[in-house]
Amino acid sequence: MDSPFALPAIVLVTVVTLAIGAYGVRFARTTSDFLVASRTVSPGWNASAISGEYLSAASFLGVAGLVMKYGADVLWYPVGFTAGYLAMLLYVAAPLRRSGAFTLPDFAEARLGSRRLRLLCAGFVVLIGWLYLVPQLQGAGLTLGTVTGAPYWLGAIVVGVVVTANVATGGMRSITFVQAFQYWLKLTALAVPAFFLLLVWRAGGTDSLTAAEVPVFPTETMVDIQVDVSVNVVEPVSLVADGVIDGTAVDGPLSWAPGRHDIAQGAVLTFPAGAPVPHADQLDTLDNATWGTPLSTGGGHPEFPLFATYSLILATFLGTMGLPHVLVRFYTNPDGRAARRTTLLVLGLLGVFYLVPTVYGALGRLYTPQLLLTGQTDAAVLLLPGAAIGGVGGQLLGALVAAGAFAAFLSTSSGLLVSVAGVLSTDVVGRGSVAAFRRAAAVAGIVPLGLALQVVSLDVSVVVGLAFAVAASTFCPLLVLGIWWRGLTDAGAAAGLLAGGLLSTGAVLITVLGGARGGWLGVLLAQPAALTVPVAFLVMVVVSRLTAARVPVDVGRIMVVLHAPESLGVHRRAG
Amino acid sequence: MHQEVPVTQLTRREISQQDYERIHTSTEFAELRKRFRGFAFPMTVVFLVWYLLYVLMSAYATGFMSTKVLGNINVGLIFGLLQFLSTFVITAMYVRHSNKNTDPLADDLREQLEGKTPDESGTTEKGTTRA
Repeated sequence: MDSPFALPAIVLVTVVTLAIGAYGVRFARTTSDFLVASRTVSPGWNASAISGEYLSAASFLGVAGLVMKYGADVLWYPVGFTAGYLAMLLYVAAPLRRSGAFTLPDFAEARLGSRRLRLLCAGFVVLIGWLYLVPQLQGAGLTLGTVTGAPYWLGAIVVGVVVTANVATGGMRSITFVQAFQYWLKLTALAVPAFFLLLVWRAGGTDSLTAAEVPVFPTETMVDIQVDVSVNVVEPVSLVADGVIDGTAVDGPLSWAPGRHDIAQGAVLTFPAGAPVPHADQLDTLDNATWGTPLSTGGGHPEFPLFATYSLILATFLGTMGLPHVLVRFYTNPDGRAARRTTLLVLGLLGVFYLVPTVYGALGRLYTPQLLLTGQTDAAVLLLPGAAIGGVGGQLLGALVAAGAFAAFLSTSSGLLVSVAGVLSTDVVGRGSVAAFRRAAAVAGIVPLGLALQVVSLDVSVVVGLAFAVAASTFCPLLVLGIWWRGLTDAGAAAGLLAGGLLSTGAVLITVLGGARGGWLGVLLAQPAALTVPVAFLVMVVVSRLTAARVPVDVGRIMVVLHAPESLGVHRRAG
Repeated sequence: MHQEVPVTQLTRREISQQDYERIHTSTEFAELRKRFRGFAFPMTVVFLVWYLLYVLMSAYATGFMSTKVLGNINVGLIFGLLQFLSTFVITAMYVRHSNKNTDPLADDLREQLEGKTPDESGTTEKGTTRA
């Protein structure tokens, strides 16, 4: 924290990203970038670009934060983020390439011949894009706040406005080269400090991770309380406090008996070295052995870990194919064989990347345990280098991590905003003129900003998980049934989209706005996919059966186009 | 991207009735689909079972899963990280299967349907660029 290099590094990354974007646009202005790229991009570049666009703030900050809090269970987030590509490759990618549809609304209209269905799909693309944008802005607020001390809302607004203005003026497009650069920047920014952290950990002889104990403060630690928090004290602890504690103003030594204590915003607590860390109220105080045991926390749902875990697996496996900024990237492959090689490389790149946040999450329990008190474990990646290494080296590594985090949400949110604004301007308002696109970009940027200001207390990866749940409950059934089942009708597709979409979106909104937390209802709302995905499939099949007369007459031909190998020549582009 | 509404091949491209009949009824096409399914469906079952097994073992074989291997690094944690590897291995197997078993058949089918005429404007698996 307080690294003097962090702010310049963030500014530098932002400027460089914008500059490369502006420069790249000169090549890509006349023709669709994706078509241009499709002739020239090798699987290696392409895989880097896909990974670069995919690895968002959730992956960069969020996975480490969740691992720190909940341990082994949340490995399913990164495993699912990765395995989603396998599900997409096996069942969706190749047929969709053959269909020639660039976006999900295109596919829906082409497959089922319904303009109204197209609009419905456009609506869900926008919704999922927004949900996915929220945690990016949230990450931005957190990062700026952590490195400069600015309030959360300021960071979110500054970044939301910068990205929106940039996209609206045609600055940053999804240029393969920029996105590929982003992957390597993110990996470097995370892996290099991780390497030094591991060295320090080994050299320091701090081996608390191998002992079954609750995290303790490694040195005397001062904690600034930025938002009101309640903590749960398990072992008695003495501290020095300055601020409002349990409703009374305190300035001096204090000792806490086991139980719940409320700390008001603005308080400063100082804990001696070796004191056990009181955990934020919503967290269970885990000793390190429980932390490392799978299914002990259910990622925050200790009562129903099995359901929560299955639901998460379903959402991430099936949701990837429905994310607006993921599918379109597969068109940059020249042929099916290259697409498969690309996917394999993407899985490798993502797998390597995700090992690193796991390291941060584990070391966070040793070096930055105060985050378990405040609950803001998403900041672990940002704070660890300074806390564990210290000195100029720690500050430089801290700046590197902060810059990487900024790269993460700049690339992902720009890609998403372009997709959302594109759909808004072509399908919802106007007919795709440049002016309409600019207005659409403004709308597309403001809505998630509003939501981002609401969700301060949620973990960024959890919010991203919700976007996956909605995608899995809507576009996954549409794509899978649309590609593999002749009997699908437009009415069936619409009914299934609405059923899965409304249920999952409702659950998401209640969770985001801080509704039900505990019990069956809580876990169902926080991890809705295990219920909403089967419901969406079922409704789609049943309503299609009931409206069997509406099966498109040319379904046989469409199926041949979708399933005949590309080399047969039926996919020859006309003209 | 945003200024143009992309026209899809499904609507723009007409497959002649003759093409459709030929492909649809050819034994190679049926064989091709069979080979895809023969691999993809069992493989899906295998990987789902493997993932679900991990979760079930975490729930009901806690003793085994929390066996310490190195410090607090236990069997469960290692299995968790192995999920990355297994996903990668399954994908690699699919890529190999496609390259070895389905692609050559697709090429045969194409030669048979189109004669030896080179496909000037189409995308081919052999890397011919688009016109």
